[in-house]
Amino acid sequence: MKTDEWRHSLGAYVLGDLPADERAGLEAHLEGCPECRAEVEALAPVVRLLPLADPDRIERPAPQPSPELAERIATAIGGERKRKRQRRQRRRLGFSLAGVGAAVAAALLLITILPGGSGGPPEQHVEFGSLPAGIKIDATLKPHAYGTEIRMYVKGVRSGTLCRVYLRGPRGERVPAGTFTYRWGEDSEAVLSSALDLSQTQAIGVRAGNQTFVAPVQAGGATATAISKQEDLT
Amino acid sequence: MREAYAAHSGELYGFAMRSLGDSGLAEEAVQETFVRAWRAGERFDPEIGSLRTWLFAILRNVVIDLSRARAARPRVAEGGIEPTVEPLEQALLSWQVEEAMRRIGEDHRRVLLETHFRGRPYNEVAAELGVPEGTVKSRVYYGLKALRVVLEEMGYED
Repeated sequence: MKTDEWRHSLGAYVLGDLPADERAGLEAHLEGCPECRAEVEALAPVVRLLPLADPDRIERPAPQPSPELAERIATAIGGERKRKRQRRQRRRLGFSLAGVGAAVAAALLLITILPGGSGGPPEQHVEFGSLPAGIKIDATLKPHAYGTEIRMYVKGVRSGTLCRVYLRGPRGERVPAGTFTYRWGEDSEAVLSSALDLSQTQAIGVRAGNQTFVAPVQAGGATATAISKQEDLT
Repeated sequence: MREAYAAHSGELYGFAMRSLGDSGLAEEAVQETFVRAWRAGERFDPEIGSLRTWLFAILRNVVIDLSRARAARPRVAEGGIEPTVEPLEQALLSWQVEEAMRRIGEDHRRVLLETHFRGRPYNEVAAELGVPEGTVKSRVYYGLKALRVVLEEMGYED
């Protein structure tokens, strides 16, 4: 017999199903055929596993989950997603509450004396440049009737560092925008607010620990409104 | 996650059923597996392993948790049959072999079931199928080869 013909008997051989005479013939062939020997070796692990299977279970159709399971999983994951979002929002709120003390009085005052902020300059993204290696700070400033909303991202400073944020007005005055504590590994975005109108803002500064970083803000639009009351707060 | 569900939920459920022996618990296990996978989504690294292997690793832990929780609950007489208690690794392996057998071609599965599992003579199976005995023999050989390939695809390593 040729190798191909012997090879077709290898399955029966490894399963121990070959009659004695055929087995003797095949074993003689294996002596001189490395290819067939390699096949025997490759099939051996499968043969060892076969006793683990139950023929009746194999023939039964595979069990299927109920059609509603996909929907239940989607609902469970939706619930998880919502809880995660709420946790993030609570953290942001935690950040911004720290700054409320100084800013809220001015903000409330200005809401009453300033017209609505709509139609003002669009929100601005500010990248802090020339930072020490490893530190990254950027902020998005959004105009509102009450002043400016600041979303600040900080990365790379020591965990637990207190950060004081302020905006610099048209005459170089500092308008506080609140404080937050940077915590490593937590959501590093802090949502803050300042009573200074974005169109009046010249720069944004953050004092992190004992270092102060400042980035210029391009004054947008010509909707400048006098905010004389702010001087009291600087 | 929907794609992962479409691709793997059947298998995961099959294994959960095999090891927990209860359709309600098995569905709970599959649901918990996808929820945990979603939570840990960022930690999944496709370079380290396949999504399927990762999901099975999660399911394995879920099954252990559910089995422990069940063992801790006081038994209530329900008149039902107690699911077979089988070590988890053994259950996984046995389920993999059965699943692999289901996945190979019908011709190959048939001859392996009749000759090897049911111990029927090759000539009898050949007569029943209306094929020469040599064909039954070669189907046994190609069936084993196919089984090996499918087991490897399912992550089995010898």
